[in-house]
Amino acid sequence: MNHRSLAGLLFFATVTFTATAEEPLTFERDVRPILKTHCFHCHGEDGETKGTLDVRLQRFLLKGGNEGPAIIPGKPEESLLVKMLREGEMPKEKGKLPDKDIATIAAWVEAGAVTARPEPESLEDAPLFTEEEQSWWSFQPLANVTVPALTESKHPIDAFISRKLKEKSLSHSPRADSLTVIRRAAFDLTGLPPTPEEVDAFAANSQKDPSGAYQALIDRLLASPAYGERWGRHWLDVAGYADSDGVTEKDLERKHAWKYRDYVIQSLNSDKPFDEFVREQLAGDEIASLEGVHANSGSEVERARYAELLTATGFLRMAPDGTGAKNDLLTRNASITDTMKIVSTAFYGMTIQCAECHDHRYDPITQADFYELRSVFQPGFNPVKWKNPNSRLVSLQTTEEKAKAAAIDAEAKVVEAARLERQKGFIQIVLEKELLKSDESERAAIRTAYNTVVKERTPEQVTLLKGHPTINKLTASTLYLYDQTYKTKYNEELKAMTAEAAKIREKKPKNELVQAFTEAPMKPEAIPATFLFHRGDPESPKGKVTPSDLDVLSGWRETKLPESLDTVPTSGRRLALGKVLTDGTHPLLARVMVNRVWMHHFGTGLVKSVADFGFLGEKPSHPELLDWLAQEFVANGWSLKALHRLILSSDTWQQQSQRDDVRDTIDPDNRLLSRQSKRRLEAETLRDSLLAVSGKLSSSQFGEPVPVMFTEEGQVVIGIDTTDTAGRQTGKFISLDGQEFRRSIYIQIRRSRPLDLFAAFDAPPMTDANCEIRPITTVSPQSLLLMNNIGMREHSQYFAQRLEKESVKASIEDTIKHAWKLAYGRSPDERELSEASDFLTLQTAFYTVEPATLERLSGPVSPENANPRLLGLTALTHALLSTNEFLYID
Amino acid sequence: MVTRREILERGYGLGAIAVASLLKEQGLLANPQVAGSGPQHFDLLPKPPTHGFGKAKAMISMFMQGGPSHIDMFDPKPELNRLDGQDFPGEVKYDDAAGASSEVMGSPWAFSKHGESGMDFSELVPNMAGIADDITMIRSMHTGVNNHGQSINALHNGSALTGRPTLGSWLTYGLGAENKNLPAYVALTDPRGLPVLGVDNFTNGWLPSVYQGTVIRPKEPRILNLDPPKSLKGDAQRRYLDFVERLNRDHADQRPGETELEARIQSFELAARMQVAAKDALDINQESEATLRMYGVDKKETNDFGSRCLIARRLVERGVRFVSIFTGNQTWDNHSSILTSLPAACRYVDQPAAALVMDLKQRGLLDSTVVHWGGEMGRLPVIQNRSGAKKGDRKKVGRDHNTYGFSMWVAGGGFKGGHIHGATDEFGHHAVEDVVNHYDYHATLLHLFGLKSEELTFKRNGTDQSLVQNDEARVVEGLLA
Repeated sequence: MNHRSLAGLLFFATVTFTATAEEPLTFERDVRPILKTHCFHCHGEDGETKGTLDVRLQRFLLKGGNEGPAIIPGKPEESLLVKMLREGEMPKEKGKLPDKDIATIAAWVEAGAVTARPEPESLEDAPLFTEEEQSWWSFQPLANVTVPALTESKHPIDAFISRKLKEKSLSHSPRADSLTVIRRAAFDLTGLPPTPEEVDAFAANSQKDPSGAYQALIDRLLASPAYGERWGRHWLDVAGYADSDGVTEKDLERKHAWKYRDYVIQSLNSDKPFDEFVREQLAGDEIASLEGVHANSGSEVERARYAELLTATGFLRMAPDGTGAKNDLLTRNASITDTMKIVSTAFYGMTIQCAECHDHRYDPITQADFYELRSVFQPGFNPVKWKNPNSRLVSLQTTEEKAKAAAIDAEAKVVEAARLERQKGFIQIVLEKELLKSDESERAAIRTAYNTVVKERTPEQVTLLKGHPTINKLTASTLYLYDQTYKTKYNEELKAMTAEAAKIREKKPKNELVQAFTEAPMKPEAIPATFLFHRGDPESPKGKVTPSDLDVLSGWRETKLPESLDTVPTSGRRLALGKVLTDGTHPLLARVMVNRVWMHHFGTGLVKSVADFGFLGEKPSHPELLDWLAQEFVANGWSLKALHRLILSSDTWQQQSQRDDVRDTIDPDNRLLSRQSKRRLEAETLRDSLLAVSGKLSSSQFGEPVPVMFTEEGQVVIGIDTTDTAGRQTGKFISLDGQEFRRSIYIQIRRSRPLDLFAAFDAPPMTDANCEIRPITTVSPQSLLLMNNIGMREHSQYFAQRLEKESVKASIEDTIKHAWKLAYGRSPDERELSEASDFLTLQTAFYTVEPATLERLSGPVSPENANPRLLGLTALTHALLSTNEFLYID
Repeated sequence: MVTRREILERGYGLGAIAVASLLKEQGLLANPQVAGSGPQHFDLLPKPPTHGFGKAKAMISMFMQGGPSHIDMFDPKPELNRLDGQDFPGEVKYDDAAGASSEVMGSPWAFSKHGESGMDFSELVPNMAGIADDITMIRSMHTGVNNHGQSINALHNGSALTGRPTLGSWLTYGLGAENKNLPAYVALTDPRGLPVLGVDNFTNGWLPSVYQGTVIRPKEPRILNLDPPKSLKGDAQRRYLDFVERLNRDHADQRPGETELEARIQSFELAARMQVAAKDALDINQESEATLRMYGVDKKETNDFGSRCLIARRLVERGVRFVSIFTGNQTWDNHSSILTSLPAACRYVDQPAAALVMDLKQRGLLDSTVVHWGGEMGRLPVIQNRSGAKKGDRKKVGRDHNTYGFSMWVAGGGFKGGHIHGATDEFGHHAVEDVVNHYDYHATLLHLFGLKSEELTFKRNGTDQSLVQNDEARVVEGLLA
């Protein structure tokens, strides 16, 4: 099945719907959206009315343009609009409209071309939203929902789900077995497989006290430091985290971005209320001035708080920003637009960035909306006085530390100055020695020539010096060569002085830099203005705009935002936006976040299109549940951990994922959730699991990212780049000392060189602004990687070595059982055991005849052949790590 | 009951529609995609063209990154030779102001007419001259964005921006793959390095990664992870694969209806088959000595490009949808020393490129295979003098970028043979007649493949994205056979 034939199916569905709908077709509901998408651009929007035709209102259509009325009610055949659409004459130079759209318009004309209500007098004063647009579900206040009667279900989530299941004569599936439950919970909450001991303990405890054991399990997982790493990764997708600038070929490294990553992990682990988390990321710098914390605060706690708040604003510095390499207007503007996209995805679940060049084609978001929201960030971006990424780094040094650093610098400079003098002296000494080799009569002239600044030498002097190359070539950088001639140690002495200066500098207090988004304090009148750009072109500014939330919400809540606040020395605009978004009644933020959390627990959101709550997105499968969850979330102090507990305590989450014919027939996509869904491990979770099972996983947290590099074969792997300045491989290997076994969230994300394993398994390379939802591909390069990649072999070897170590005197059978337990959390059945045993025996025998060494992805390979038993075990572990049982969670 | 595996093994001979519908019946196809919805599943199953009249099934693009000098190879301008050494009588759109000069440089190379069609070629490309009657020379190409990166993007992805999907990705997205044992979209890179913009020359952009160009490297290992590691060769790997499949089968049997598990088993099998099939496809030693000589594999100068052209033919022969062959970074960017650097660049590709067209033709593959030869720009009619050489000393001078009018040639797949399309002005600076913009070129290519840009769309950020983004794009009828 392909995408096009599906379009056919949808078409069919729409037609059926329209045909059975009793309500008459109206301009607002049925016709205007089509015209808005295809025709407004030339006929009405932005002052453009080609052929003097404006199609934004029904009465404008009646009036028509140069060629007469566009429609004649009741007579589609005679209506110019219908004719032109049918003949494909309009939209000009574009494909014909879909037949169903033309049919809708024709039917509407035929039925009298009615409107739902009287049309507005004027379109000039306010952006026009139809009632249909204003009443779109995601713009409505959170509904006051009553939980359905808890008859059979004891859990509100189950009650909501059951109600819909019953309508389709479906019911929940049975609870999954304890192994499935613990694996699912462990992967969902920590992104790591449970250990065999944890699996056994949970099974045993569940026998005794099912609900107590489950409670304890969830508590333990939520308290694990791995929780923040797992859910931090989800948030970093939305934020568009990367350790490089992207955009240009240079893809400059972002040396300090990791602090934001750590901030996210720590915030999630401490269950920082999500509203606070949002406000800090939008306006940490302004919150800091409200709280009165700064780099010079008296206490360590206050300084740490300042660092935290400033780091949080790194969120607004995550977008690709090429201005470090190419600082022009377009590149600057692109970075701002990308930031707007990230803000829009993360907090609005809308595609506001689509309104950059013109009113949104589908949603009631005007071009002004885009620029009004942009104006919230304008003082920080300050496009007029743009600062490139490095200039935006903020130092956390105290004034005292800065002074100390300056003093130490001065101290070092004294030594350096002395060194320079010494060097000059040495050069003169050598010069005199060299002069002795020349004719006595020439010496004075040569000396003068040599001591004349190069640029000021006369041609005669140049020629003279050329005749004495050993003098001509004598410079600071060649001085060391003369040490050999004269058996002196000048160079050593100079080096020692350099070292001395360096040693003094070592005493400098470390200058911690943060990649932050800040504003310069400024008077309200000095705040840079924001202009709407004609058709999105930053070189064509039009009217000035002021900060505002989406205008479509203005029917029931305040949307204007202050241009400046008195409470902070900066504009305070971001502070104000943060407050509005997290006031608990904003229709989007809580819904969007609850939906994201739901997606990560079920594979699909209640709103499938997690980043598009607009007209092209999918409507919620369970709107009441979504609203109830959003309100619970807010009522529970925006606690994400409470939200996980709530969801994971439902039968809906704990049920098994097994399909059956009935369920597949009635609800093939499982939108009603009569079962759980199988999920493939994400790229990072796959790698972390490989490390966990092979016993290599490092528990070290935070800090600078683990570097990635190209191998000679052009693969991107973890390692320290040792290519030379021309980019050639030197063959040198520098050990990472166990850093290579850290969790995936700590691996450097260089946009231009995504780790092979990550790229193959759909991790976002962040060449876009961010990743709203990951695609899921099933392609052969993934299988080739699992089969043949040396890195996979390494994991398998480590796993085999672990088995050898942990089952020293064990039988083949017991070793296999242990392997199974580690990889899958369960024991093999009889058949698996015997097949694995045969496999192991055959492979071991093979390596006895065909010896081989252990494999290394990079670094020196041991020349000695490995023990055939170890190689046999490696074959077994490699197979286990390549299977679907390892790659999928039930 | 027929299993998906049997269907797939019986292969694509059944006809794409039959297979697709059979699979659909069996519920074995990946989930269809739904507009604006959550995680989606994508595949490479063959999909029929939507417009029936597509003649082209595959495409080989020889991409000459840097910008071959059209006025020294394909587009003779006697006027330039007449004005040689004088000031250019008009305005020149320079890219590099530092080396700009207004001194006209006539082509130092002699042109002559070839084939029954009488197509012009300079002495630099004698072999291309030999296929005059099989190709269409487009002399009126235009992208109008005067730098390498932007113009490369324009020709590959339809916009001046980086990060959008390339032509090969769109075609495999729309049509799938004909060979289940090989990647659908292949990029053959040059041993002298990737072209400007690197991997963006064959990126899937934001299309799913199944539509990504698979790099076949200029040296071994030609495909990453294609060869088993030393300790997993031969029987060891066979047994490993069997064992993994047994475990996966049991696992899938206990989870009926999970098509993705089945798809993954398939992809493992494909990977295993690829080890053999790709090896076979890449093994040009199977070719006769005559064929190897035809492509210039026997000569040092043409060995690399000849080998890659030959590999491209072997891939297309086996059902690969799109093959890009790149020349090295800025090979054709003759800002200086054009007198020596351009002939060298020509010698590298002339014989192999012509051989590719002839070979496809003699094997009856040219009708269904589009062949493209060209770069992202042409060059200016005036001298660019970066080295500060004295007037009259042409040894070190070159020509600057020109994206306002340049030549490239296409053949096969429904393009005319022996045809010259469009023209530049009398100096070769601007395309003036029957201008073919990059988007017109794309619209025409899609047409040849039986696709329409406005239907070949991908939902992103709430809008339908497509290859052709310019409203004025049109299928260039004059290019069609």
